[in-house]
Amino acid sequence: MAAVDLPLPGAGARPGAGPGVIAVDVGGAYSLRVFDAGLACCGVEVAAALRRSTALAVAGEGRGRTAPLNVFVVAGTVTDKLAPFVLRAFQDTPQPRRVLSFGACANSGGPYWDSYCVTKGVDQFIPVDVYVPGCPPRPEALLEGLALVLGSPGEPR
Amino acid sequence: MTGAAPGGGPPARSRGVIALLEENCTACMLCARECPDWCIYIESHKEPVPGHEYGGATDPAHAPAGRGRQRVRNVLDRFAIDFSLCMYCGICVEACPYDALFWSPEFSYAETDITALTHEQGRLREWMWTVPPPPPYDEGAPPPREVRGHIP
Amino acid sequence: MTPEEIIATVTGGLPPAVRCEADYHGVMLRVPAGHWLAALMFARERLDCDFFDWLTAVDEAGEGFSVVAHVYSLTGRHHVLVGTLLPRSAPRLPTATGIYQGAAWHERETHEMFGVGFDGHPHPAPLLLSAGFEGHPLRKDFVLAARAAKEWPGAKEPGERDVPQARRRLPPPGVPEGWRPS
Repeated sequence: MAAVDLPLPGAGARPGAGPGVIAVDVGGAYSLRVFDAGLACCGVEVAAALRRSTALAVAGEGRGRTAPLNVFVVAGTVTDKLAPFVLRAFQDTPQPRRVLSFGACANSGGPYWDSYCVTKGVDQFIPVDVYVPGCPPRPEALLEGLALVLGSPGEPR
Repeated sequence: MTGAAPGGGPPARSRGVIALLEENCTACMLCARECPDWCIYIESHKEPVPGHEYGGATDPAHAPAGRGRQRVRNVLDRFAIDFSLCMYCGICVEACPYDALFWSPEFSYAETDITALTHEQGRLREWMWTVPPPPPYDEGAPPPREVRGHIP
Repeated sequence: MTPEEIIATVTGGLPPAVRCEADYHGVMLRVPAGHWLAALMFARERLDCDFFDWLTAVDEAGEGFSVVAHVYSLTGRHHVLVGTLLPRSAPRLPTATGIYQGAAWHERETHEMFGVGFDGHPHPAPLLLSAGFEGHPLRKDFVLAARAAKEWPGAKEPGERDVPQARRRLPPPGVPEGWRPS
C-alpha cells in the first residue's frame, strides 16, 4: 500500500500553535488558507480533500483578493470539554476569516445530538458561514463548500 | 476514493442524499420512529377514499357484513429530513416497507443557513431524479418475486 | 501460561473466596472487594501480567457496580480479567495506581462516569467531562436530557391530525415513562 502523504503544519508554525495551516492556491485569482480543526473522523476527509488542492475547481466568480482568505474548518465532533479550545483557535484565526462547519457533528451534534458531553453544533459558540452536510461528507464536498465560502459575506462588522 | 469512476465522481451506490418518492409513502411513520437521530419530520392526516364508502359496496344494503365502513387513507402533509442531523445510516431506507426512500449519490448541497439543510417534500422529490437504477442481479440469482410473471 | 495453569496458580496462591472462570477470551478472576489489590498484585507478580490494558465499571442494575480490570502478559501472551462487585450505596475501592501506574486515568474516568471512588488516588480530577458537570453519565439511571427535551418525531400516529388523542402515545426511545428534567 502506498504511503499517504498527509499535509503537515508548514514551516513557521510554532509547536502547539494549533490547527495545521494549508495554503490552497487557486490559479492566482484568489487564495485560501485553510485552518483545519480535525477533531474526529471528518478530519480524515478534510486531509484527503486538501491533498488534492491543486485540482480544486471552484465554480463562481473570482474576487481578485490580495490577501488570502483564512477559512477555519471545524471537522469533527465538538465536545463540551474541547469547546473552549476550539473557540480559542477560532479567535486566533486572522482576518479576513470565514468558518466552515464540516460534517453532521459540527453542524448540529449529528449522531451524538443526545449525548451528555457533545456540543450540539459548533455554531453554538462561533459564527458559521457555510455548513457542509455529510457523515462524513466526501472530500469533494469540502471543495464545494470552500467554493461557497468564497462568496459568503463573513462576520458582520 | 475506492471504487470511484475513472475521471472522478462518486460510485453509483454511494450514500449522498436521501430521496423521497411521495407516491409510495403511506405515512406509516416507521422511518421517523427508527431514525436514530430523530431527523425525519412527518405530518399527515386521514382522508376518506372515494368510492369506498361502505367497505367497497355502493350502498349499505350490499355492504359486506361487519365491514361496511368508510375506507380511509393517510395523506402526507409534510415529510422533511434534516440533513444537518442525518448520519446517513440508511435505517430509514431499509425500514420503509413501501420503497419510498432511495439513496442518491449527490453530495453538493452545502448551505450558508443551517435551516436550509432541512429538505422538504419538494426538494426530496427533486433528488429522486438523481437516484441511479438498481444494480443488476448477480448471475445465477433467483428472479425477483415482485416482477409480474416471475411468481411461480 | 495456559488457562489451566493460570487457574492452578490462582487456586494455590489466592484465598478460596477468589473464583476463577476460563473461556475463549481468557481467564476471569472474580474477587471480593477486600481482595482487589491482592488479586491485582498476584496477577502482576505471579501471573506475569505486566501490561495494564483498561479498568472500567459496569452498572449491574440490581446488584451494584462491578469494577473490571484487564491485564495482559506480554511474555506469556495471556489475558486476565479481574473483577469485583461493589454495593450501590457505597462504591469504593482502593486505588490500583500503586500496582499499575496506568490505572490512574482509567480510575479518574470510572469515578466521573460511574461515581466509583478510588481511595488514595493521586489526582482524582475529572478527565473527560467539562467543569461543573453534575451526575454520573454512564449509570443506567442517568437519562439523556436531549431525548426528553426534543419532541420525538415518531410519537405522531399515522394520519395524526385526524386521530383522536385518546390513544396512549408511544414514549420516545431512551426516556423512562414520565421522566422530567429536574
